Amino acid sequence: MIEFQGVYKTYQTGSHALEDVNLHIDDGEFAFIVGASGAGKSTFLKLIMREETPTAGEVIVNNYRLSRLKRNQVPYFRRTMGIVFQDFRLINTMTVFENVAFSMRVIGKKKKEIDRTVKHVLRVLDLHEKANRYPLELSGGEQQRVGLARALVNKPALIIADEPTGNVDPQMSHDIVEMLTQINEKGTTVLMVTHEHELVHQFDHRVITLEKGHIVSDTGAPMRPATVSLGSLAAEAGGDTL
Amino acid sequence: MKPHVIRYLIKEGCRNTWQNRLMAFASVGVLICCLLLTGFSYLLFVNVDHMFQNAYEQNVMAVYLDSDQDEEAVRRIGDTLQGMSNVASLSFLSKEEFLAQYGEALADNTMESFQGENNPLPDTYIVSLRDLALFQQTLDAISAIDGVEEVSYDANTAATLTKVRQVVLVVGGSIIVVLLAVSLFIIVNTIKLTVYNRRLEIYIMKSVGATDSFIRFPFVVEGMLLGLIAGGVGFGLISLLYKVLYSHFSFDNPLLSLVPFSQEWLPLLVGFLAGGTLVGVCGSIISMSKYLKQEGGLRS
Repeated sequence: MIEFQGVYKTYQTGSHALEDVNLHIDDGEFAFIVGASGAGKSTFLKLIMREETPTAGEVIVNNYRLSRLKRNQVPYFRRTMGIVFQDFRLINTMTVFENVAFSMRVIGKKKKEIDRTVKHVLRVLDLHEKANRYPLELSGGEQQRVGLARALVNKPALIIADEPTGNVDPQMSHDIVEMLTQINEKGTTVLMVTHEHELVHQFDHRVITLEKGHIVSDTGAPMRPATVSLGSLAAEAGGDTL
Repeated sequence: MKPHVIRYLIKEGCRNTWQNRLMAFASVGVLICCLLLTGFSYLLFVNVDHMFQNAYEQNVMAVYLDSDQDEEAVRRIGDTLQGMSNVASLSFLSKEEFLAQYGEALADNTMESFQGENNPLPDTYIVSLRDLALFQQTLDAISAIDGVEEVSYDANTAATLTKVRQVVLVVGGSIIVVLLAVSLFIIVNTIKLTVYNRRLEIYIMKSVGATDSFIRFPFVVEGMLLGLIAGGVGFGLISLLYKVLYSHFSFDNPLLSLVPFSQEWLPLLVGFLAGGTLVGVCGSIISMSKYLKQEGGLRS
């Protein structure tokens, strides 16, 4: 769950990045954040990730009231979310398997659990045959899937995708959003920042538009019949659901 | 932290050191240079101190005893002197030996008239001190012993030696402190470069919720490893260099001779390993803390 209550963010330079933003994204929702450059999308994400704190107002994410979060609590808060980046941010000296496992290692998981979970996630995302490859040996789309696997492996309640389709071709862009949709259908909240309006319109998800630090439109969550299960994806890969 | 996490982090620290071996090589090189300078400052101080010690030993007090002391009283005074903590060595000069040593300058008839009961010279203890800084206290304590008639000494030499030694101690100590501070400064900046090279890893660690101590630990292991390597190699180099110096500059005069390396190897080894490790670990902690505080935000 993400909630913005009268949030303002003004930087020391005097620029007003966000002004009086009020927003509620429920658990299990999929929302696109769209807007032109300078609309406030980056600040919006920084506030959610607790990289910045608001000048005024309150941000609540996954039941953490971020203004009251102490520095030493921030890592535990961040474990409740997975982040996918536009430029993948994979470590080139590590294999695909190691890149994904890295996320689990740094939060102190045991080797046995890491091996089992990473293998499963790679299978679900159809990367199991590339497990021993290095990122530079993969295509852009495959690298982004590794980034997605890394974000998913700790089973976060929230996935934040920061322009995840910025460096891949249109077909792969569609596939990535499709994968995020399937992940969302299993109950994970997905927040995807993008400026690709065309891509957004191919999916039936909530769209929040930012402009000059204000929310100028919000379609709200679409009304849907029963949701499709991610189980099909997992079953195809022969593993458990995520 | 759980044992398997600590094992993983130690392994990571070693792996990182190997992966960044060029930077590690630079850090070790810098650290070795600083440790060598510090080590040579220490050896210089030890040698100067050794020379002063020799000079001290030549700066003795003559303790003249009252002429009416019997053998038992003379022995008792000797025991009292021996029991003083600042007395380094003690030798006894009986009045007969005293006369034999210094009587040659006297005319024969005078010498004869001083034999036996007529010997005017006193029984004497020759005392050398451990620490000339405690000269006055020791002098007062010896003068107060029952049966001591007079204490003869060279107060000016004692005062001068004490002063010079103190200056050497302060200057030597300051040089070592300054060099250690310089080493720390250099190692902090070298490790900063290593940290900067690995900013992507740190960034990802932070994004998935690694704690600061988890992120810092491998760098501390790396710092410790670099410090130990630098300490070991530095010690090997200084022992070689000092042995060469020792073989070229050993004189018969104890005042000018160098302290043999066998006397100083242990404090040097401990100092090099401990100093290297301390500088490496502190350097890592300082540079990592600064990085995590200033630039370790989630987004780069």
